[in-house]
Amino acid sequence: MRGRPNLLAGFGSLVWLAIVGLPLYVMLAASLQSRTDYASGGPLSIPDRLTPQNYLDMFSGGFGRYFLNTAIVTVAVVAIVLLVVPPLAYAIVRSRGRATTAVFRIFLLGLAVPAQAVIVPMFYVISEVGLYDDLIGVILPTAAFSLPVCTLVLTGVMREIHGELYEAMAIDGASAGRMFFRLVLPLSKGGLSTITVFSALQAWNGFLFPLVLTQSAESKLITLGLYDFRTQHGVNVPGLLAAVVLSMLPILIVYLFARRALIQGLMGVGGK
Amino acid sequence: MKRRTWLTRAVAGGTALALSLALTACGGDSGGEEGGEIRILVYGDTANKVETKLVETFNRTSDVKAVLDTIPGADYQAKLQTVISSKQAPDVFFNWGGGSIQPFVKADLLMPLDDLIAKDPALKSSFLPSVFDTAVVDGKPYGVPMRGTQPVLLFHNKKVLADAGVSAPTTWDELLDAVAKLKAKGITPIALGGGDKWPTQMWFQYVYDRVAGPDLFKRAVGGDTAAWEEPDSRKALETLRQLIDAGAFGTNFDSVKFTDDGSPALLARSKAGFELMGSWAYSTHQSLDPEFAEKDLGYSAFPAIPGGKGDPANIVGNTNNFYSVLKATKHPEAVAEFLKLQYSDEFVKEHLAIGNLPTTTNTPQFLDTSASPEYAKFQFGLVEKAPAFQLSWDQAYPPAATTPLHRAVQGFFNGSIDADGFIKAMQALPKP
Amino acid sequence: MTSLTAASAGRLRAARRPGAASSRPGFLWALPATVFFALFALVPLVLVAVLSFTEWNGLGDPVFVGMDNWSALLDDPVMLKSVWLSLLLTALGVAFQTPFSILLGVWAAGKQRNRAVLSAIYFIPLLLSATAISVLWRSLLDPNFGVPAEAEWLFGDGNLFGSQSGALAVLVFVGVWQFTPFHTLIYQGAARAIPQVLYQAAEIDGAGRVRRFLHITLPQLRNAIVTSVILMVVGGLTTFDIVLILTQGGPGTDTTITAYYMYDKAFKGFQFGAASAVSLVLVVTATLISLLVVRLSGYDRMRGSTEGL
Repeated sequence: MRGRPNLLAGFGSLVWLAIVGLPLYVMLAASLQSRTDYASGGPLSIPDRLTPQNYLDMFSGGFGRYFLNTAIVTVAVVAIVLLVVPPLAYAIVRSRGRATTAVFRIFLLGLAVPAQAVIVPMFYVISEVGLYDDLIGVILPTAAFSLPVCTLVLTGVMREIHGELYEAMAIDGASAGRMFFRLVLPLSKGGLSTITVFSALQAWNGFLFPLVLTQSAESKLITLGLYDFRTQHGVNVPGLLAAVVLSMLPILIVYLFARRALIQGLMGVGGK
Repeated sequence: MKRRTWLTRAVAGGTALALSLALTACGGDSGGEEGGEIRILVYGDTANKVETKLVETFNRTSDVKAVLDTIPGADYQAKLQTVISSKQAPDVFFNWGGGSIQPFVKADLLMPLDDLIAKDPALKSSFLPSVFDTAVVDGKPYGVPMRGTQPVLLFHNKKVLADAGVSAPTTWDELLDAVAKLKAKGITPIALGGGDKWPTQMWFQYVYDRVAGPDLFKRAVGGDTAAWEEPDSRKALETLRQLIDAGAFGTNFDSVKFTDDGSPALLARSKAGFELMGSWAYSTHQSLDPEFAEKDLGYSAFPAIPGGKGDPANIVGNTNNFYSVLKATKHPEAVAEFLKLQYSDEFVKEHLAIGNLPTTTNTPQFLDTSASPEYAKFQFGLVEKAPAFQLSWDQAYPPAATTPLHRAVQGFFNGSIDADGFIKAMQALPKP
Repeated sequence: MTSLTAASAGRLRAARRPGAASSRPGFLWALPATVFFALFALVPLVLVAVLSFTEWNGLGDPVFVGMDNWSALLDDPVMLKSVWLSLLLTALGVAFQTPFSILLGVWAAGKQRNRAVLSAIYFIPLLLSATAISVLWRSLLDPNFGVPAEAEWLFGDGNLFGSQSGALAVLVFVGVWQFTPFHTLIYQGAARAIPQVLYQAAEIDGAGRVRRFLHITLPQLRNAIVTSVILMVVGGLTTFDIVLILTQGGPGTDTTITAYYMYDKAFKGFQFGAASAVSLVLVVTATLISLLVVRLSGYDRMRGSTEGL
């Protein structure tokens, strides 16, 4: 459809590839070296000896358990987000009531609340409720703090749905619920996959809530497991990076499969 | 406790009500309350292997079972402060003695160990006194040493020093001379992980000790802020300034860290001659470059400063890690039994094997079993003979002082504040 | 369950009075999310507000001290500096990330196969936790063994973390590296949604690539730009983990942004009362700015971008 290839853009994209790629290469290369080789070669050298040892160590070190816990938390957070955000965004976009406008403002305000600002009271709330050191105690606040961004994104997507489409359904006597399920949800697929990815990432990479709200090895999450590579006075960089690569893989695989739907859905819907 | 109770109850109560409706189906309780259990909270790192073993040993004979919880290192103190006055509090926890437990003592959370020691005097007599005293607050003991002692030593690269024709300095002038010679050869004389800030602080600790003696800091940390203005204090700062201005640390030390192996690599790869660092640097080098650690890594005590008031045998560093006990523990007898393991032969051998140096009186007889006997003996001799063992400044002061203290030492080194600025900053530190 | 009630209520009304208004969702649709959010974000926030009038180190009882924390903040040079630094860092973040992510997003929206592959790679930084990213960049930027040692003409002695400009540059750069993928995704989706007719018409008029970009693509991306900028603004103001690992607010207090200052007061100094006051300042600042952006752009009243056509 477009004419000549865009050389400038092509060049720019390669520069960006280098900026993104170099650290990723360093990460991968480092994770496959022993701490000794990495220290003697430095981050930029091309390794001459590769070893899977860092990865093997991780599986003998309880990472399986951390993985499982993290997966549970992630799935639960995504489920909560997908359950409550679409109706909320729908109400914000379609409702004419003052209350929903106010609610939207509150969520915009919520965007500006960093998790670390409320972590101390959060600890007391969670432990009063008896959810300390329990995965549920991590899931609930993590989900709550994903809501504002997800709401903002999904509202943006739902706004693109043409008014005529609603009117057409309204003439057929469709209720708000029917419109939601038959019109809004199918046309917001892209937004839904975006918020799925976003909230999954939040949960998968979350650090502060698991740190403060869990304690025992049974409820440890991957991000805390990364600290197994730290000592009081140092950090085993290759070991840590191996753990990072490993912890990234599942979510990368999910992304690669969901990618098409993600982009396609994000195309919005109004214009077609 | 009252005020916090209404505060949290009021709000948490509402939350709880709403939640319990949602959660009844989930059955969220982990329910570990039955029978007897003591929870032990430790700093999560490689020493956990040993702690796990000791807990297993304890559990073989005890009805009350010990459970070990490890907290990711960097945030250990934060996590501890959050849980310690809640119902999630551990029974026994890892700490650094000194300022790290002082706030807990003040809040009346810790159990003085007098009674336990009265019943079992070995709980005190089994440890080197200079170490044991670090966890004495207001005249009462609150901690039993665990893991090992970590004095600060002056490490060097033997090859680099030989090439420059210098040897490990025993006096300040020798150090300055070595700095000049190394610099002339285009080598950064002293590697410094200024990005971490506490390595910079080590220089202050030693120079203050050598110039003014241990007493000045003791008074300062005790609340006598005028101590920082004394001539000895200014002289110590001048001495440091002299070293900095001689280019001893190069120019980019604030971008280098010890914790990500930056400064150890400088030393190991012959790009620097010296590094002042805690004794743990030895095991860092062993894991980074075993060959260098074995052949070319040298170490010595900090040089004497002629005319200074401090004994050249004085040392600074982390005197030890400690186990302290919560007053609220339900099983004080079990805790006492557990603490007894901290001077057992098993404990000493296990720690020596992973490169830690316990400070129990039975340690010397096992030093040969250490991973590196020569190094272990050197350190133990140093600690045993030291007239004074100054706890790291940032651990002697309460936690609230750490950030401003680190800023001051960094500022003085990179020249953004002068001696007056430093003195003012130290006087403004939160009082213990 | 609420949706059912709302739905049936809506149906009843619809039956009585056919028309657009009756088929609109009621407040009930917003209720579950609102209640959930209130419990876990707003309630703790209220507690933070209460704590800001107390002195508390996490042990024992908070002691009510009136306005002490607040008046101390007014006299605190670090506090003012931190707000300024937060704003600066945020503005720099928006200024660098927006053009990059728009260009990349529009580029990636093309259907060519190589673009699909490359944009998949571009996305990877988003998958990494802030801890991982910071550790990675810290070793890459080591002055003696990392990139600066290989490119002395650019970095000099490599003392990036020893000067304010160097440390800020690192934070902005790492922020761009970390967050551009997310915003690229937003723009990529939005760019694909632009009706091809518009481009075809412009092509008939003989408009070049640059003009098409300026006159069609950019205006059509308006909604996406506003969403993305709001996210960057709040993200920028609340950034803290990369500061924690990369600079610890230093050198001195030169990168001590408000979010980090609060963390430092709370979890290094254990002055939870004072830290609460700082965090309220942060929340209020961030809220005001995002409301401002929302107002200026009319985001809260905005309907679809296509409606203006």
